[in-house]
Amino acid sequence: MIEELENILERYRKKGGNIIALLQDTQESLGYIPRMAVRFFSEELGIAASRFYGVATFYSQFRLKPVGRHKITACCGTACHVRGAEKIIGGLRKELALPAGEDTTPDGEFTLEEVACLGTCSFAPVVMVDGGVRGKTSADVIVKEIKAIRKKPDEG
Amino acid sequence: MGKMVNLKIDGKDVRVDEGLNLIEAAAAAGVHVPNLCYMKGMKGVGACRLCLVEVEGGKAPVIACNTKVKDGMVVATKTDRVQEVRKFVLDLILSMHPLDCMTCTKAGVCTLQQYAYDFDIKESSFTRKKFGYPTDQANPFIKRDPEYCVLCSRCVRVCKAQGTNVLEFSGRGVGAKVVTAQDRPLQESGCTFCGSCVDACPVNALLEADRSRKGREWEYEKVDSVCLSCGSACGITVSSKDGEVVKISSAASEGAAEKYICAIGRFGFDSLNSEARLRTPMKRVNGELRDTSWEDALATVAEKLKAADGEAGFVSTANILNEDALALKKLAADVVKTKNYDSSVTLYADYDSLKGGSADLDKADLFVLAGTAPDQWARVLPALDAVIRKRVSEGGAKLLVINSGDPKIASAASAVLKGEEIAMIEQLAQAVISKGVKAPKEMVSALAHVDPSDAAMAAADLFVAAKSPVVLAAPSLYKAAANLSLIKEEAVSVPFEANARGVVLMGLVSEGKKFKEMLSSRSKALYVIGEVPVDKRPDTDFLVVQNSHMTDLATQADVVLPSTAALESDGTIVDYLGRVKEVRCTIGAASGTKSHADIFAEVAGAMGSAVKKGKEADVKKALKAKTKAAFSPFKREKDLDVDGERFIEAINKSTINGSRLLWLKESEKGVLA
Repeated sequence: MIEELENILERYRKKGGNIIALLQDTQESLGYIPRMAVRFFSEELGIAASRFYGVATFYSQFRLKPVGRHKITACCGTACHVRGAEKIIGGLRKELALPAGEDTTPDGEFTLEEVACLGTCSFAPVVMVDGGVRGKTSADVIVKEIKAIRKKPDEG
Repeated sequence: MGKMVNLKIDGKDVRVDEGLNLIEAAAAAGVHVPNLCYMKGMKGVGACRLCLVEVEGGKAPVIACNTKVKDGMVVATKTDRVQEVRKFVLDLILSMHPLDCMTCTKAGVCTLQQYAYDFDIKESSFTRKKFGYPTDQANPFIKRDPEYCVLCSRCVRVCKAQGTNVLEFSGRGVGAKVVTAQDRPLQESGCTFCGSCVDACPVNALLEADRSRKGREWEYEKVDSVCLSCGSACGITVSSKDGEVVKISSAASEGAAEKYICAIGRFGFDSLNSEARLRTPMKRVNGELRDTSWEDALATVAEKLKAADGEAGFVSTANILNEDALALKKLAADVVKTKNYDSSVTLYADYDSLKGGSADLDKADLFVLAGTAPDQWARVLPALDAVIRKRVSEGGAKLLVINSGDPKIASAASAVLKGEEIAMIEQLAQAVISKGVKAPKEMVSALAHVDPSDAAMAAADLFVAAKSPVVLAAPSLYKAAANLSLIKEEAVSVPFEANARGVVLMGLVSEGKKFKEMLSSRSKALYVIGEVPVDKRPDTDFLVVQNSHMTDLATQADVVLPSTAALESDGTIVDYLGRVKEVRCTIGAASGTKSHADIFAEVAGAMGSAVKKGKEADVKKALKAKTKAAFSPFKREKDLDVDGERFIEAINKSTINGSRLLWLKESEKGVLA
């Protein structure tokens, strides 16, 4: 991991502090912003760790925890909301047994993400599973798919 | 002085400095503009929106904290429009703030409570909202309760300005929260527990951890005094209730760079009542220290001092007051008739370095640290570290560090000259001269052989450009560094002890053996005053230890005399900047103890002589002695290299080990391990 961080750091050391871009690259390469990355950058750049943490929590694009192997994205836009997005999310959280306040299963298999709008309102309610769009869907349909993924652990 | 401008605020004409903001200008006119987030001396950030005012000719209200005065401005601070906005803002804040003023420790000094009263808001008209963030109370110093937080960012800004850089916001909007990196408890964040954030908090989000149920501020008796823990000699306000100290905060005025005290100054007061506190004289009988009466103890000391026949030695800490030092000098020189009296000053300084120089840190635009390495994390002159960082980050001052090592404070420097300090000072001085700045003839010729490096030339630009540079030198380098002050402005030497300058000016300047010599050579009687960095009994026939606490050395003494501790006696000191500061008794002497000066007078009495207590006039007279600045060779005073961190810890051992600071010491060890 250190090697990746060093590469990222080299890119920005010359440009002179751009915390956001630095964190973006970190997330792109590691999937999230690990604690040790913040500590590493802080020490190397002489910028307080609290500053990195502040920026990373200000923008919703940054994740401070690893993302699951499978990503489920539930749309909460107006159309999907009207068509019962809340119910779907509730059903999926129950199926995944997500602890309150968490979006990733403890085994690191699934991450359930909520987004404002996926731009396919005519298919509402919409859920994406590992990049594939499922339109006019329901909790039951997605739960079935989750179960199927669980049975084939090698795929990912 | 800058230009002055005239403006009208709420119908009152005021004339103020150009560059002031409207909150300050209004204050000058006697008008208070409500605010929760403004901090004097720091940039306005407009976080709370309470300071909105209307400026004639402007469309919308503006925030007073971030609007500068202009000539001819007409400002109204209490129009219906802005009052309505303020009430709305308060209404919103109160929808998330616990309404428990009746049990809140901050009641009476809480700014939010004051404004809720002013605007007559009993409770919010909005639905109550709570985030349920947990309280951080995992340390014995500072309790952080986000439930009370109004997100004014004062704590975050003060922490950043002084370079501690621990606090920051996480998230955004109403859900934002003041956190440390990764939202860890304070002790895992690099926090030094200076408590600046506690002083800054307008509400009850940050509070001294032990204050709960210990009374409100209006019940406190407040006295301004001085912290004697290290050479910074910070001004402190001591709050006490029922004869017990309950709170210590910085006494510096709002907006002054010196508004900082460290954990030792703020939280060390528990040690006044620690188990090691001495409350009765003790005397060694059959090899064992036993309690005895003052009469007996004093008679024993008197007898032994007499018997020593001029060969007694007196060694004192430099934390004693001027009055104590005067009395000690009289006792030693006039009554005991010995030439051996010295203070721990000679461990790290030569007497001359502590006689001259004065400076105003708030006005300095360049700090030159010659060999001095203040460090708030290691608690070496922590206030100086914080003050310099603040002046650099908020006041636009520059910092030049001259050091052979890599001190932490170099991270705030505009230039660093790394290398043997005397050589670096020479190079800097020569570089300045080579840029056409006038210097005394002797200096020019003494530097003729010096060829400044590029780094020195660059650093010299800072010195040339500065209007009021201040050179802060380690005492051993003072004479060399003070040569810079012959070119421009001021130089002071920075000792490790609070009254180092005072004890020297009061004449505690040995004509016989010095501190180190007295401890290493054999003596007939040795009298040790205060907490000195000595743990082992020196080779002496008779050892007296006079201190507020039992120390390792005291356990080996023949007689132990219990003295008052800091905060328990009145007097004066002279700080490193040459200012005479009043130390005031805040809680009275602990039972069974006497002040140093009183004990010296009584010892003299027991020896059949009278030592008058040092009067104000005597102190003033002694303070007049001043040395004129003159050129000195670029040389280092020898054998004065002391590890500042160890030294300051050693002279505060009783304070640290007898208070919650011990927890801090242990937890820091844990982090390092």
